[in-house]
Amino acid sequence: MIFVVDDDKIMRKCIARACGKGTELLEFGDAISVMDAIATGKIPNLILLDILLDGPDGFTLLNELVSYPDTAQIPIVIVTSLDLPIQDLSIYGVVGILKKDTMTPQEIHSYVQQYAP
Amino acid sequence: MEQEVDGILVAAHELKAPLAVLRQLAFALPEMDSSGEHTRSEMINVSERAIKQVNDLAKIRRLDDGLFEMEPVAVREVCDAVSHELRYLFDQHEKGLIIKYSNHAKLVTANRDLLYSVIYNFLVNAIHYSKAESQAELTVRDSAGQVKITIRDYGPSLPISIWRELKQGWIKQPTSIAMRPGSSGLGLFIASRFARYMNASVGAIRHRDGTSFYVNLPISKQASLFDYDIRS
Repeated sequence: MIFVVDDDKIMRKCIARACGKGTELLEFGDAISVMDAIATGKIPNLILLDILLDGPDGFTLLNELVSYPDTAQIPIVIVTSLDLPIQDLSIYGVVGILKKDTMTPQEIHSYVQQYAP
Repeated sequence: MEQEVDGILVAAHELKAPLAVLRQLAFALPEMDSSGEHTRSEMINVSERAIKQVNDLAKIRRLDDGLFEMEPVAVREVCDAVSHELRYLFDQHEKGLIIKYSNHAKLVTANRDLLYSVIYNFLVNAIHYSKAESQAELTVRDSAGQVKITIRDYGPSLPISIWRELKQGWIKQPTSIAMRPGSSGLGLFIASRFARYMNASVGAIRHRDGTSFYVNLPISKQASLFDYDIRS
């Protein structure tokens, strides 16, 4: 299962489309609904996460995820327009950073194949 | 200088977002069949909004030249035109817009293009920050010799720092709005600059379940004469 988290609905749909058909996928517009879904037992194999979100931001969600044993190991790909160093974020389980202005659907799909085939 | 550079960075970041969306939509187009037309229209809408923001920024640079004439403007006509243009965006985000007119004064002294942009930016903010399936409200009413246009959204409240800055009359630089991300405040910056040019006042009321942004516009003296003629 893949979580796509982005407050921009159109961008979220684009990312979801790039993940490919046949992949179980849930879309979220904010961090709180992600934690709510996880609380109901939905643990994803991969999270594609935007940083600037309505309400609590992506960093807050990263901190939440890493603080629980059942979510601490989830691989996370940050999808953002910010310039972020991956070295600083690897402790949160971040396995990659995609820049929104340069990423391609193939790059998104390759993460899906690697972490949620 | 540092503040100016910060402002440019924030504006650049804000404009990058719709361009990134456009790029992703363009990638998706070849895979489209029946939904291709919908994607094409999304691309046009996103690009038009980005172009409008760039145009508004260019207008800010030209405000000092005094090129925007003040004239009697029919306030309801402008509100109708903006809400009509943005209706698709409300629908697309599954949010509603309620319009309430109770103003007796029909004309205000303003520049129509700038007033259009002020209302447009407030409404786009309302779309972005309103909770899903909620309804934003656009109200126009008389207020102490002025006409007050208010756009109310139901979402996170405006950060107090931005509220304070607006209370002083205008936003000097676009700033990052941490609690209301997604928009860096570029729309508010544009709206407050345009309002200041028109001798109008802008402000915001913080609610616990959202924010009301308003602009007070002076009633056109020609409006008074017009109303008098009608009555007599």
